[in-house]
Amino acid sequence: MPRLIQNLLTFGLLAFSLGLGTGQAWGKSAQHGKISHHVKATKAAAKPVRHVTFNGPNAGLAEARLIEIYQLIGKADTARALLKAEQLVTEFPTFALAQLVYGDLLSARSRPLNRFGDVPAEQLKNVSSALNELQDESRMRLKALRERPPAGMVPAEFVQLSRYNKHAIAVDADRSRLYLFENRGNGLSLVADYYISVGKLGIEKMVEGDQRTPLGIYFVTSKLDAKNLKDFYGAGALPINYPNELDLKRGKTGGGIWLHGSPPGEFSRRPLASDGCVALANPDLEQIMRTVEVRSTPVLISRSLKWVPPQSMQPRFQEFKTHLDAWLKAKSAGDVNQFSQFYAPDFNNGKTLTEWLPKLRNQVAAVQGRQLAIKDLSLLHWVDTSETMVVTFGEVAAGQRSGSTLRQYWSRQQNQWKIIHEGVIG
Amino acid sequence: MKLTRSVVLIALRLITLAAACTALTSQADGYADISQLVKNNKFAEALTQVDSQLVSKPTDPQLRFLKGVIQRNLGKQNEAVATFTKLTQDYPELPEPYNNLAVLYASQGQYDKARAALEMAIRTNPSYATAHENMGDVYARLASQAYNKALQLDSSNHALPPKLALIREVFKPNLANPKPAAVSSTATATVTPAPATPVTVNKPAPTSSATPAKPVTAISAPVAVAKPIPTPLESDASKEVEAAVMAWAQAWSDKNMETYLAAYSRNFATPNNQPRSAWEKDRRDRITGKSRISVKVSELRIQVTGNEAIAKFRQSYKGGKLSVSSSKTLQLKKQGSHWLISRESTGS
Repeated sequence: MPRLIQNLLTFGLLAFSLGLGTGQAWGKSAQHGKISHHVKATKAAAKPVRHVTFNGPNAGLAEARLIEIYQLIGKADTARALLKAEQLVTEFPTFALAQLVYGDLLSARSRPLNRFGDVPAEQLKNVSSALNELQDESRMRLKALRERPPAGMVPAEFVQLSRYNKHAIAVDADRSRLYLFENRGNGLSLVADYYISVGKLGIEKMVEGDQRTPLGIYFVTSKLDAKNLKDFYGAGALPINYPNELDLKRGKTGGGIWLHGSPPGEFSRRPLASDGCVALANPDLEQIMRTVEVRSTPVLISRSLKWVPPQSMQPRFQEFKTHLDAWLKAKSAGDVNQFSQFYAPDFNNGKTLTEWLPKLRNQVAAVQGRQLAIKDLSLLHWVDTSETMVVTFGEVAAGQRSGSTLRQYWSRQQNQWKIIHEGVIG
Repeated sequence: MKLTRSVVLIALRLITLAAACTALTSQADGYADISQLVKNNKFAEALTQVDSQLVSKPTDPQLRFLKGVIQRNLGKQNEAVATFTKLTQDYPELPEPYNNLAVLYASQGQYDKARAALEMAIRTNPSYATAHENMGDVYARLASQAYNKALQLDSSNHALPPKLALIREVFKPNLANPKPAAVSSTATATVTPAPATPVTVNKPAPTSSATPAKPVTAISAPVAVAKPIPTPLESDASKEVEAAVMAWAQAWSDKNMETYLAAYSRNFATPNNQPRSAWEKDRRDRITGKSRISVKVSELRIQVTGNEAIAKFRQSYKGGKLSVSSSKTLQLKKQGSHWLISRESTGS
């Protein structure tokens, strides 16, 4: 039997989707010498997905095994690839993409393959879109594994996290990927990343029912146990605070945006599958549920993450901190006329600026001129058509042990940072 | 999309000593020396010895086979190709030269030729071919199941198990295996597992035929033997039966399923008593799945008794990658003006 020819075909097709030896630049690599260096290094090593082990023993285990199968096919070792695929689908029978690869490996034993996912025409009738979606899923998984975040870099949105933000989540919609970070004393480190699905119609949620996933900076608001949910949500859910204050200001509607699991019968879902939520495989969601904290875990959802060295954000941090300190100084001084300058004319937190200023006057009076201090500051920087800083901190008056936790949304307007929303969150 | 040479060599395995080890033990001494040299990578020396022995035995397949192996190891690809090609011409029943030819072609990137050579290797034994086709069918069915799960289709559409072609005809004796007569008569599991028959002929045997009896009988099914019906030949009826058989073969070749299935009586004894619908589906899948089929009937003998007839003939089947010649028996019954097949069996 011309197994060789089949090996060749399979290899060629899968190698194509793996992009073996064709390293692709990560994001705007030109801006970061380190990044393009990273890409080159990957290329030279000819082991494009060696980072898989990075995920640790539990995270994305099934995916890591799928990639191992791809690699075996890449080495024309179809016999071992078939064995591994059989083991994988036995353990994860609802892992549709694994079934597809298994099917290809079996088919290759009896006929030449013409493409990845070479389902016979008669079987493909009426379901060719399902095949396309699986091919997309494969492409997305490979893309995310081939184009790894440069070591030590973080999403540019995470300007500063406080010690209370023990974890952070960043979703890269273009890569169908969720990155989970741990905030250790020495900054953020990436601990795991997972394949995810977003809305059927993609991203940039605007209105209720548009089947899109919102873009922005959110926080985990609660943890929902699977036993209180419909089977559809799988292992559980982590709701986020969509629409956030910026969204509301922009008139965005809808709600109930969750990170959740997958229904029975579907190990993972296609890249565009949800009604706007971020859906994960159940083992992956469980891992995240076990790890992250409610309220203090930011969830950044971005079209395409931009990774930067943490130290490169110092200038932005310092620049913004100047404004924040000035605001705090004005507030400490108790001069409403002075510190009202920091508020945008269209400020609204349920009250307009004219309604809010008297409240602030009372607050200031209560402090009685004591110097205010900021503790545990976190700065999350969001840029789309405008520039927003989501600021969370503890405001403590001199002589006090604790104060209240404030969250503010600052907007850059004509090169001036202005507060468009503020409120006490705890 | 490039595959390096080394990967090719991993994928295809050269048979170096199989033939040498499985046959000709009595004469093995001369070969053994050469084999030893080959094992120790002393190819130049081995070549000298092979050549000197070939002077006295210029046609000896064993020596020629070894020479091909040595030539390949010496990097004399084209000479090795020539050696193995000549061997396949002189001994078309041996699979090993075809296999090694395939390895050589593959290492030269000539995959079409490699494929053809491997197909020929399989065809050296009809049982290999059938088993191979069956294996392909099983893989295809498994693939189909996996695809169903991948696409989340209702798998009940494809739930019919594959009907594998039973090897009904026991491997015909070839030159290397002179005594398979006992093999075809009994098809029970009680056959004593005889040790490999010592082969005494002056020719290398394929690896498998060195242990002929057991594996082959194990897969041969009891064949429904047509009853001998001593009646005078009814020539008109015989012509009709002949026409019916030829039309059946033609419909099969044409993949005309309607005509093909209509050639079978409603009372046709389906293999293993499977339901008619399942059998029909199976035939449809098998026949329409092939890109081209050719069924040729030769040596047709017909016996007619009243409204029943037995047609025995040699059936040359070519379909997809498979080419098999086997003896076939059809029992036909006249229903109205048509002779319809009531029983079909392969083997003599």
